[in-house]
Amino acid sequence: MLSKQAADYERNTWVVVPALNEAQVIRRSVSELRDVFANVVVVDDGSEDTTGEEALAAGAVVLRHPINLGQGATIQTGIEYALSRGAEILATFDADGQHHVEDLRKMLQVLCQEQPDIVLGSRFLGRAEGIGRLRRLVLKAALGFTNLTTGVRLTDAHNGLRIMTAATARRLRIRQDRMAHASELVAQIGRLGLEVREVPVTITYSEYSVGKGQRLSDSFRIVLDLFTGWLLR
Amino acid sequence: MMIQFFLSLLLAATAVLVAIQRTTSRLLRATVLVVIAFGAFLIWFPGVTDRFAELFGVSRGADLVLYLWVVITLALIVFLYLKLATLSRRLTRLTRAVALGHPRGEPGRNDKR
Repeated sequence: MLSKQAADYERNTWVVVPALNEAQVIRRSVSELRDVFANVVVVDDGSEDTTGEEALAAGAVVLRHPINLGQGATIQTGIEYALSRGAEILATFDADGQHHVEDLRKMLQVLCQEQPDIVLGSRFLGRAEGIGRLRRLVLKAALGFTNLTTGVRLTDAHNGLRIMTAATARRLRIRQDRMAHASELVAQIGRLGLEVREVPVTITYSEYSVGKGQRLSDSFRIVLDLFTGWLLR
Repeated sequence: MMIQFFLSLLLAATAVLVAIQRTTSRLLRATVLVVIAFGAFLIWFPGVTDRFAELFGVSRGADLVLYLWVVITLALIVFLYLKLATLSRRLTRLTRAVALGHPRGEPGRNDKR
């Protein structure tokens, strides 16, 4: 059970859902979120299918990028929108059905009770159902790289399930448009000295989500993006 | 002789393009024009490159020109890559502004298209 304070916060929490061509699954994801959280904003990153219509039908506020920018830019758009609507707490949640709303509630509870600046989900403290060996290996390698370069010690640095206070969201700024945003966020957490908690969560890999997810070769692109971002900082 | 005219024509066209750029700084334009002029000079007096090559410890003038060409090309690639990244950031800001200006599904708003 959530504490009374956490239940109150559920009404003031905005969940940001980045989405690209997720018409098959977005309605279900949004409906499950809306059963708990009053405010869900889906940012449609230039989808070519009916993602926006499906999300709208499920009760989300929908923003649409006229062109595809990438997940990092999409999350930042959602965060800016939520802050402009007076959000007290902000969460990020993937559209593809890998995340579970109950985990987000647990994370909200930790945020309310222990009052860190940000709470991150960890599949390696919890469970990663259906994860392949190679993917696990690459995620662990990326985790080692992120921990080494940011000075923040995490068990899962690339999990899209996050929840933070509005004050934290205002201090963080995602400049990496594509997938390097996850490492960038951890770097900013380290630089700003934010207090972090990790909560065990379950990530459920399905044929659909694996097909939609990143390819392992994208790791090289991420490193290049991080380097370019460092040059342009 | 034919190739020298052709290369000189290309350099002249490049010099005109550089000279009429108003968004580039004067210093950068002047530097590029000097490099172009030097290139034109070497096209007509290729023997000079051998003397420069000796100064830099390279055996032949043609090799020196090739090495310089590689360095300049790589520098240009990096410059263009960073320029593209900067433009990409501007595009992101513009796209975001469009998205934030047209939310759909907000309570109390009629979003029918």
